[in-house]
Amino acid sequence: MRFSNILSSSVALRNFFILIALWEVVGRMDWVARGALPGLSEILVRFWIDRGDYPGHIWATAQSAGLGFLIGNVLAVAAGIAFVLSPTLMRLARGVNIAIFALPPIAIAPILVLTLSGMAPRVTLAALGVYFVTMSATVIGLSQYDTRSADVVRAYGGSNWKVLKLVRLRGAVPDILSGLRIAAPNAVLGAILAEFGGGGRLGLGTYLLGSLGRGDPARLWGIGLVATAMAGLSYAVFAVISSHVLGSTRSVTLNTAITDTGSDDRRSGPVRLLIFVGTLLMPFVLWWAFIRATGVPDLIAKTPYGVFEYLFLADSSAIARGKLLAALGQTIPIAGVGMVAGLCFAFLLAILSRMFPGFIRAFMPVALVTQAMPLVALTPLLVLILGRGYSVTLWITISVTFFPAFVLLVQGIQRVPQSVLDLPRAYGASAWKEMRMVSIPAALPYLFASTRLTVPRALLGVMIAEWLATGTGLGNLLNQSRGYLDFGMIWTVAAVSVLLSVAFYYLVLAVERRTLKHFGMQNVE
Amino acid sequence: MTQPAGISLRSVCKTYLGRGKTVEALKDMNLECPPGSFTALIGPSGCGKSTAMRIALGLESHDSGEVRVAGKTSAHATVRGITGVAFQDAALLPWRSVTKNIALPLEVLDRNPLDYKNEIRDLIKLVGLEGYENALPGELSGGMRQRVAIARALITQPKVLLMDEPFGALDQIRRRQMNVELQRIWSETKSTALLVTHGIDEAVFLADFVVIMHANPGRVVEVVEVPFARPRSPDLFADPLFHELTDRIAKVLHAI
Repeated sequence: MRFSNILSSSVALRNFFILIALWEVVGRMDWVARGALPGLSEILVRFWIDRGDYPGHIWATAQSAGLGFLIGNVLAVAAGIAFVLSPTLMRLARGVNIAIFALPPIAIAPILVLTLSGMAPRVTLAALGVYFVTMSATVIGLSQYDTRSADVVRAYGGSNWKVLKLVRLRGAVPDILSGLRIAAPNAVLGAILAEFGGGGRLGLGTYLLGSLGRGDPARLWGIGLVATAMAGLSYAVFAVISSHVLGSTRSVTLNTAITDTGSDDRRSGPVRLLIFVGTLLMPFVLWWAFIRATGVPDLIAKTPYGVFEYLFLADSSAIARGKLLAALGQTIPIAGVGMVAGLCFAFLLAILSRMFPGFIRAFMPVALVTQAMPLVALTPLLVLILGRGYSVTLWITISVTFFPAFVLLVQGIQRVPQSVLDLPRAYGASAWKEMRMVSIPAALPYLFASTRLTVPRALLGVMIAEWLATGTGLGNLLNQSRGYLDFGMIWTVAAVSVLLSVAFYYLVLAVERRTLKHFGMQNVE
Repeated sequence: MTQPAGISLRSVCKTYLGRGKTVEALKDMNLECPPGSFTALIGPSGCGKSTAMRIALGLESHDSGEVRVAGKTSAHATVRGITGVAFQDAALLPWRSVTKNIALPLEVLDRNPLDYKNEIRDLIKLVGLEGYENALPGELSGGMRQRVAIARALITQPKVLLMDEPFGALDQIRRRQMNVELQRIWSETKSTALLVTHGIDEAVFLADFVVIMHANPGRVVEVVEVPFARPRSPDLFADPLFHELTDRIAKVLHAI
């Protein structure tokens, strides 16, 4: 085991160096889009020249990301505990949770800048970025506990609270830590996106935006790499912590008892309807309460009713609706096409990689690095390479969908036990037959899971590209409206993009439930 | 009135609702464990023996009948630390050291573990785990973990000791060793013990009374008194009289 570990990490290292060397050659020869991809040495030289600029920007971004990370996670863990103690509360908050999961941060960055001041928008967006991941990890961690240990505590008259304190909380620590690990880069991304939205003089996002017009690829790459390093570092810190904690938490023996779930389905019809209505209304109530709490005048901050009024009742409603529909007509098709292409590509490659395991070992590190790379930092680079046409939007969407889907799918396929694979092989099945019978069905739940996961990312990718590069669609509408001080439209786009994302999510979920039920499979969280 | 530290279940009924039909887990279950005795509860899967014990522990409610543990209701007995409990597979908290796992019931009962330093030390000695005070469960063998669970059950100095297949996860050899150990520990603590088990020889070796249960509905069909003198040595496992008794119990168990 040890030896093969060393071997595979040395292979990864070798590939890494090959990649760097290739990069340098390609960059030096200006092969990609007339110098849009500079060599690593050129980027480092530029970085050295700019070295005075970086600390201030890095510090500003790190500060807001860190604060948001802290606040978001405290809220997320508290919410997770509350949800586990009260399933009804969890149902009520479901709408809010899904909305937070699905919201494209770029769409709400402008409204946060409008309603909050100073560092608050950045901190809020960073906090929103971490909330869902940590909250779900907390709920999962607290739900999967050793029922026998809980029985011991209960046998001495321990209350639910005692069980939570002595057994479940500590048992959930590894799950929470792995949640934090995934959440950390999200905080960096959120902070940078909010910096795009305006406000503040410092921050990597501001720096990137300011450098966009200078046509200096080396600097953009430098900023992108620094942002990636920040995200990657925050990921690595929690990866190290969780690997230290994990060993002492796993139950020594296997718990054969199954924790019962879904016991709250015994409620009567009216009560369930009430909860359902509450679930739907909750996001809007919070939206309204947020505006009331900030005390921003109605002209700038629109309540749900304000948006409705803007779209349907005001004199300019028809024009506004026209603009919105035109933008949607541009954004939705390209997001859909990009997502489908990215997912197909990921599915194909994941299935094929089962046949060529060496390929995964070489490709996985690259895939993981690109996942840690903040999307905002990636976009300007792709714009440099691909220009400002539709292709850049398409490529961004494909790349944001492809990598997470690929990683998830490979993990899913690798979970197929060797014995299941051995069976068709023992009967002399061909590689293709084995794939058709085992690998592809095994990957199916993960394909759906990654589709759900990537819906908001695809929308975010398209909107960032539209905002920064192509000047079309929802992203552009949002950016323009900021310029025109068209507050109604800013709120409308934010609300519509969140609703769009949630609708997409539920569409996938519905198809997923139906399909997996047909195949008798379980869906993956 | 002096309160005898026995266990008594009288006409206890318990039905479960599951998938549209009702399951009679216990029907008119009667069980008397005299103070200071060792009783083994044996029967096929689904005969309700674990349910009976969970009711005695107050982990589950019963529909009708009377349950008394040391003269109190089960809930009263548990919160006063009168009952000690050990489950299958030890069920230790993997992040707590041996000492801290033993102290767990104290924390649940809101007692200060620091007041029990001597008791914990004595118990670790009693179960033969000196030198492992600070080890984590993952570093112990299956038998050692089970000893920790026994020590944990004894930390409140219970008058009643309830054990649900405590050695179910151990292999046959380790299991016999633990049987001998348990007999020694029980006789030193002078508590009333109730053991739920699958193993006939384990039941006969340890118990004064073997209570045999059948399923559908769960009920007691026979109580066998075990005549062997104490302390019983491991040689008993090879005794022809021992086998005669286990064969008799096996016959009752299989006569369904």
